[in-house]
Amino acid sequence: MNVIVVGCGRVGAQLAYRLYQKGHHVTVIDQEVAAFDNLPPDFRGRTVEGEVLAHGVLHRAGIEQVDGLAAVTNSDSLNAVVAHIARTKYQVPNVVVRNYDPRWQPLQEAFGLQVISSANWGAQRLEELLYGADMRAVFTAGNGEVGIYEFIVPDTWHARTLAELLPEAGCVPAALTRAGRALLPSQSTVLEDCDAVLVSATLEGIEALRQRLYPEREA
Amino acid sequence: MFVLIAGGGRTGTQLAALLVAQNYEICMIEHRRDVLTRLHRELPTEAIYEGYATDLRVLEQAGIRRAEVLATCTDSDADNLALCFLARTRYDVPRTIARINNPRNAWLFDDRFHVDVALNQADILASLIEEEMSLGDMMTLLKLRRGEYSLVEEKIPAGAKVLGIAIKDLPLPEHCVIAAIIRHGEIVMPSGRTTFEVGDEVLAVTDRRGAHELAQLFEPHHEGYQHSG
Repeated sequence: MNVIVVGCGRVGAQLAYRLYQKGHHVTVIDQEVAAFDNLPPDFRGRTVEGEVLAHGVLHRAGIEQVDGLAAVTNSDSLNAVVAHIARTKYQVPNVVVRNYDPRWQPLQEAFGLQVISSANWGAQRLEELLYGADMRAVFTAGNGEVGIYEFIVPDTWHARTLAELLPEAGCVPAALTRAGRALLPSQSTVLEDCDAVLVSATLEGIEALRQRLYPEREA
Repeated sequence: MFVLIAGGGRTGTQLAALLVAQNYEICMIEHRRDVLTRLHRELPTEAIYEGYATDLRVLEQAGIRRAEVLATCTDSDADNLALCFLARTRYDVPRTIARINNPRNAWLFDDRFHVDVALNQADILASLIEEEMSLGDMMTLLKLRRGEYSLVEEKIPAGAKVLGIAIKDLPLPEHCVIAAIIRHGEIVMPSGRTTFEVGDEVLAVTDRRGAHELAQLFEPHHEGYQHSG
């Protein structure tokens, strides 16, 4: 895969290096030549020094032949503008944008772009970890709006059904592991203590489920 | 008419002051503390909104939904582009005008970002200077149709090639009309039989290329010509 990474700060350098290690052809663009020092010494991708919006710079980076572009500078409007031009003028099939300051996320979303906010996503993960280890997110989609969570059924819910346990909104069962065997659960599945259950849930859904599982913590 | 202006730098402020003087309703969005201090001295308080123009809530509170024109004058080309795009796709603003800071970014300022008019200050200045240098004594009085055509004025010098020749017999440029001649302070309406005299001030409507040809036509004879003629 040919990929352009715009911006060679911490996120850009990390992303470029990961892609390079997976065997992809990576071109990194930054206006400051010193920014390329952020790349590990064994990085063997291309670097292009230049202001990314200036005429000819994207062309020099080979935008006509890329499969993907990630705009990860610390300017949110710049990321949005680069991504928009990559999609509309150069028809780059896969374009993603980093959100730097959550205040400007609505502006980026107005372009209809795939936006990843490291600040939002990190804050949500930290928040989850602070709530305790008995319910952990094993996968998050988007910026963490929906996640797959795993928990162990406590003895208070033994012999009751999933339908009783799960909140009506924002939470659906994904898998249940009992004595080492996984199965696709239904709403009528009867729980046993020590079952490991995976649910797909929104932040509101998982909070409601948490209150049902551990009501004593609300005090 | 309500005009929303993003960015209170020198361009934005100049535009705002001009529009206020012509009784337009305006709102200027600016977030820089030091710039705001200056703005409050130059513009009425109700015309200033403090905040980031790229913040959707700020745009809405400053009145973008009822704006008939958005002029983006910030010093960031990316901000100016993103704002024009937002203004049209999200708020249906009928007209957008954007300032170009870096001429190398000019290629982006088009329909893709819903920029109706792009103002490239460096470009405008450069073409003015180039024109002044190349046209000699010819003066541009007025630009018509976005600068494609101009009303120009030139004085006929002594020894000009055109002296004594009727206008109908002159090899005038294709896109060029002699509009009027000022002779001894009086307007002469030219006809085909009119001939130029030394000191005539000629007013012509012409395109850029025509202006060059006209300037050459009004030049004095070259030395060589004078000997032979």
